[in-house]
Amino acid sequence: MRRVLYIWLPQLPLDLRVRKQDPRLEAPFAIISELKNAWRTTHLNEAGKQAGLTPGLSLPDARAICPDLLTEPSDKTREDALLRALWRWADALSPWVSPDPPDGLFLDITGCAHLFGGEKEMGQFAQTRLSDMQITSHIGIADTKTAAWALARYCSSDIQIAKAGQTKEALFDLPLEGLRLEPKLSSDLRRTGLKTIGQLSDIKSAELSRRFGLSLTKSLSAALGYAPDPVSPKSADTLYAARMTLPDPIGFKDDLRHVLERLTASVCKRLEADAKGARRYYLTVRCVDTGDHTLQIGFARPSYEQAAIMQQFDRPLDELKIEFGADWFRLKAAHIEPIQPFQISLDQHKQAEDDTYKVLSTLGNRLGFDRVRRFMPVQSHLPEREFVQVEAIECREAVMWHPAPRERPIRLVNRPERLVILEPGRPPKRFQWRKSIYSTLMAKGPERLSNEWWQGDGGGVRDYWQVQTEAGPRFWLLTYPGSAESVWYFAGQFP
Amino acid sequence: MTVTDLINRPDIGTLASIRLRAREELCLAEPISLEKGRVHEVTGGSADMFAVLAASRLVGQIIWIGRPREINSLSPTGLQNFIDPARLILIECISRKEALWAAEQSLRASGTQCVVIELSSGPNLRESRRLQIASEEGGGIGLVLVSGRVQTSACETRWHCEPSKAGRNIWVWSLTKNRKGQLGSWRVQWSNPLKRGGAYETGVIHLAAATAA
Repeated sequence: MRRVLYIWLPQLPLDLRVRKQDPRLEAPFAIISELKNAWRTTHLNEAGKQAGLTPGLSLPDARAICPDLLTEPSDKTREDALLRALWRWADALSPWVSPDPPDGLFLDITGCAHLFGGEKEMGQFAQTRLSDMQITSHIGIADTKTAAWALARYCSSDIQIAKAGQTKEALFDLPLEGLRLEPKLSSDLRRTGLKTIGQLSDIKSAELSRRFGLSLTKSLSAALGYAPDPVSPKSADTLYAARMTLPDPIGFKDDLRHVLERLTASVCKRLEADAKGARRYYLTVRCVDTGDHTLQIGFARPSYEQAAIMQQFDRPLDELKIEFGADWFRLKAAHIEPIQPFQISLDQHKQAEDDTYKVLSTLGNRLGFDRVRRFMPVQSHLPEREFVQVEAIECREAVMWHPAPRERPIRLVNRPERLVILEPGRPPKRFQWRKSIYSTLMAKGPERLSNEWWQGDGGGVRDYWQVQTEAGPRFWLLTYPGSAESVWYFAGQFP
Repeated sequence: MTVTDLINRPDIGTLASIRLRAREELCLAEPISLEKGRVHEVTGGSADMFAVLAASRLVGQIIWIGRPREINSLSPTGLQNFIDPARLILIECISRKEALWAAEQSLRASGTQCVVIELSSGPNLRESRRLQIASEEGGGIGLVLVSGRVQTSACETRWHCEPSKAGRNIWVWSLTKNRKGQLGSWRVQWSNPLKRGGAYETGVIHLAAATAA
């Protein structure tokens, strides 16, 4: 028999501020968010509740009731981050945890409870640990997910347990919303006079489904355990990070390096054990006077080599100005990818390739990775759109270049440069380009290209000519046919 | 004391091992060759083609360092007749100092066989000596493309390359400085006897005629 534990965190956004020791929480305080086209209160602290406020009030109403009310819009990202942190923490209770955003966690505790001395003790353990972290929680334990959810949310006690096989009895008096129905469906049911789950289970499911649709009977049978509704065993993404807090601030470069060495050692060991590498590393240094500074390095390919990370952090650490010292450090690996280990000594080619990537990392960290680039082909017939430059570290697989249908220059100027025509012709017989005068020996053309109408930009039709000059260089000249005066541009140069 | 002991001594180990390593040469066409582990300067209108042809004879990635204007004007659709564009890694540098630093770092790595640096004026004695030491360490070829004036430098050879009006893919390469051998001037032609219009092939460099040395 499955047993499911649900942890409801009713005050999660407020707990976030409680943990930060926000002084505003002394007075009436509310978290607001935009619901039904208005700013409404969603979470209230104790003082707010005593002032007569309720969740769901619109902000002007709440202000009218309690003029001293302080509010803050909800911050979904931070709340989500806290929930994810608790998701990882819940691994201590059971290996099968799945989050129920925005404010709950499902744990499949089948066969786990005895480790804590029973289900009640397990619930108490979880609640104590959470309250140590200043997080309010309600816990429900039942045979099914929906039942545990309903018990946690709609029972007055902090820990509510439905004994195995007694789900129906436990849910009997709970309101219909405990079935996790859509709001419209539950309001329809209320209109017909049905208020509790117990009332529903007396009615034949065929009649219910005819009147209210299949979704109601489905939720009901899932809640009572007639239909399977498992906790999907998803574990939180492993976080490759390490943190160090020192009793006294440090400021010498050597000391910083020692700290970094220890942090990298722990992160790299874990990465190596999982055969993973990271492309980015972030080091947060908390200075006692100036706050957090985040240093960032990147790698051209995923890496877990401690020496390489230390080396790349050398420069940012040198540039960091620490006056009064720093006492808190955190190293985090990001952009994690699996890497295949290989034998270094035997594969010389691989080693050379490795070396190149090391150089790219060094160059990228100093100059910026947007300035280390590589060519990538693009499907287009316009010469300037046949290729793009992409960041070299982003380009992971080999690309195939198709041969150009016509001869193309090796140098292509971004914006065609206008020529000074000394002796007209088609193409001009003598012209000046970049302070030098050239005369045409031979010319080949025109190659007429029309613009890409589907791109929706102008430009019109253009004619390209290959011009062999007497001096030697072969140019690619451009003109726009159909214009009143003939204007020629320099577009590129052939080898 | 044996040679091995000498090499293993920490103070002179690196220097000795570099000296003892036999230097290889990259032969473009007999007798045109470039010594590996050295820096060569190239000037003239088709200096970039010299670099592309030299690079096409080597394996691995080619690091091409230059200012934004030069880096953005390279066109892989034209280059792919001579070299696989996927082998090119472009480094955009906004100052000369940055370009020289990037060149030094790339030359020092043993994995890069060819590094091309585009500079507006040639490196001076100190800059080129630094590049020279870096390429000795890495063993790759450094090609400095100078668009303006050259200065007295520590480079191994200096080439002046101009396109020829005689036809497609014909250039005149003149060796204007050589620390170890003779000077010369050649008219070279690149052709691809196997296939026409295929993508990135090495091709053959013919010496059409030797002009006056």
